[in-house]
Amino acid sequence: MFSYIKKSKEMGILLILIVISVIISLFNSSFLTIGNLLDVVKSNIVLGMMAMGMLLVLLTGGIDVSVASIVAAVTVIIGRFMVDVSSNIFLIFLVGCLSGSLMGMINGLLIAKLKIPPIVATLGTMSVIFGLMLYLTNGTWITGIPQNFIDFGQITVGTFSIPGSEKTMGIPIQFFFFVFAALLTWFMLKYTVIGRGIYAIGGNKESAERIGMNADKINIFIYTYEGFLIGLAAVVHTSIMRQVDPNAFIGFELQVIAAVVLGGASVLGGYGTVFGTILGVSLFCVINNGLILMHIPVYWQKIVVGIVLISSISFDVIQKRMKEKKNVRVDIDEEASVSSRRSGAAGKADTAKLEQKA
Amino acid sequence: MKKSKKSETGFGSKISIFSKINRLFHKLPLEKKEFVLLEIFIGIFLLMSIISPGRFLSWYNLQSMAYQFPEFGMLALAMMVVIITGGINLSITYNATLASIIGAVVLVKMNEMGAAPLLTVIIGVAVIILTSMACGALNGFIVAGIGITPMLATLGTMTLFEGISLNITKGGAISGFPLMFQWFGNSSVLGIPVPMLLFIIVIAATYFILQRSRFGAAVYMIGCNPRATRFSGINVRKTLFLLYIYSGLLTGIAGLVMASRYNSAKESYGYSYLLQSVAAAVLGGTEISGGFGKVFGTVVSVLILQVISSGLNIFGVNRFITDVVMGGILIIVLTINFVNNKREEKALITKKIVTA
Repeated sequence: MFSYIKKSKEMGILLILIVISVIISLFNSSFLTIGNLLDVVKSNIVLGMMAMGMLLVLLTGGIDVSVASIVAAVTVIIGRFMVDVSSNIFLIFLVGCLSGSLMGMINGLLIAKLKIPPIVATLGTMSVIFGLMLYLTNGTWITGIPQNFIDFGQITVGTFSIPGSEKTMGIPIQFFFFVFAALLTWFMLKYTVIGRGIYAIGGNKESAERIGMNADKINIFIYTYEGFLIGLAAVVHTSIMRQVDPNAFIGFELQVIAAVVLGGASVLGGYGTVFGTILGVSLFCVINNGLILMHIPVYWQKIVVGIVLISSISFDVIQKRMKEKKNVRVDIDEEASVSSRRSGAAGKADTAKLEQKA
Repeated sequence: MKKSKKSETGFGSKISIFSKINRLFHKLPLEKKEFVLLEIFIGIFLLMSIISPGRFLSWYNLQSMAYQFPEFGMLALAMMVVIITGGINLSITYNATLASIIGAVVLVKMNEMGAAPLLTVIIGVAVIILTSMACGALNGFIVAGIGITPMLATLGTMTLFEGISLNITKGGAISGFPLMFQWFGNSSVLGIPVPMLLFIIVIAATYFILQRSRFGAAVYMIGCNPRATRFSGINVRKTLFLLYIYSGLLTGIAGLVMASRYNSAKESYGYSYLLQSVAAAVLGGTEISGGFGKVFGTVVSVLILQVISSGLNIFGVNRFITDVVMGGILIIVLTINFVNNKREEKALITKKIVTA
């Protein structure tokens, strides 16, 4: 168990997260207060939910640069829906998730059926969706969100008293949607055939297909599922912001990718976990929050984020290489084990399942 | 290297209007994908000219397009050379603007101190070029030296360059260059706009480096199989490192043209070119997984995108609809490619069955 903890990528990230948190709280004692932490959580729920979807896509070795356009489009759709049609919360969620899933499915179909490389397909859908949405809305904000939806967004669970003031704070209801998304994704990846298939495809697409995985179906599924999570995130975002700004998400896709990657997922596919992604998102938002609390000028934030991104990935790669150097005995053995390790765990589980079926 | 060897078959009948032109093209040393692109370009150009001969085909419009697209073209080539190796360079636009911002600071400082304009411009340009190459070297070091996936490495440096640029400009634009600096973006030599001239030089240089040199052959090989390339005695790391420096250099020239054309430097200039340049490279037949891609295809697809956006702009079409059209074209062209490949595959299989 201990050796596992020492080895795993996630523990390294957790360590970095703890170190950074300690440094920030040394500079500013208000960082480690419940009020601040709840604020950090609340403002990054959308990032976290979208990161869950992106994780699945990265696991298969794909990438989705259209996430920002989809989430923006869904916020506009539900914004118009609740202002013009109905303020029934259930219906709002339904419309949000359905429209998100639909847009995700288009990506999935383009990638799986027409074999367009993911980055190119999503690039295309991104400019189509963004263009259409900005043309139809003309970039204007949607305000006048119905009161019952605003009330829904302000529900909190539990109360924490804030030291030094009489105000109390609770866990915002939006947080539970993030927990739902994370648990659902974790369960699916760990305990379902499709989840193991996602890892298998990311490890080695051909061998995954040979053992009976339908790569096309899985691809369509993950992009649809990602769209579903994005739709949910869009509703959550609207419930936090209480208005819709069509331009709010420009450039957001790279943040989502960066957060997932910080969490240890490999862009080549086959490696990444829900826990790591949560850590990556936390690291990302703790750094951003910390820089504000440390009164570092806004202009420096990008530099720090860039350096953290480069150095944390470099650290990972260098560590891996040193470990490999230590282990090298026979070149050929090493090559074989590296390639099999990538799909190893997933592959074994799948073959086991197949044997059972047979 | 992946090369389609069936480029001569079944082409003239598809689009009857162009069948004659096709026959002419067949004498040129071009691949099938490049034929399609050239046809699309000519088709769109003719379409725009027919719809609006007075405005689209006007000298003024053609001239203004010739000033506009070189910077995009250079960025697209900077993107393409990296995609050929199976990587991607997300830092190109901020690389260009960071170089131009640092160059701009030097230009403005020297201008204020009253240095000779010619000397100022020469030093300023040198600073821009050197900075861009240094940025490229940083990318190269992270990708080739440390071994980080290009997408992540350049995502990191992209944020880094943006941050440094913002730190220098504080969010504003730097201006106040010597008048002579405008030569790079706004004047012409023998009727050819200087940006166009620079672009032609860049095209020629990239063509020779990629398609006519030993270094270029190594680049394509890395895109196909880096491990096999290493085993065949090529220094993969060094090749990649140099290639990223070259990519940085191209963005530097683009940054130079942009700074000169807008007569200022700002970190957000040209940001929209980032994903467009990926689109241009892919539209031009560059394989996103590496190993295939030609200068000609990328240049033609840059022309296509430019003609579409200028044309739609002239007709007064909403800017956002232009985005929709661009995205649609990207998807449609790739779909056509897919269908063509499928059909060819089928034809090949039936042929095999018949001969067997």
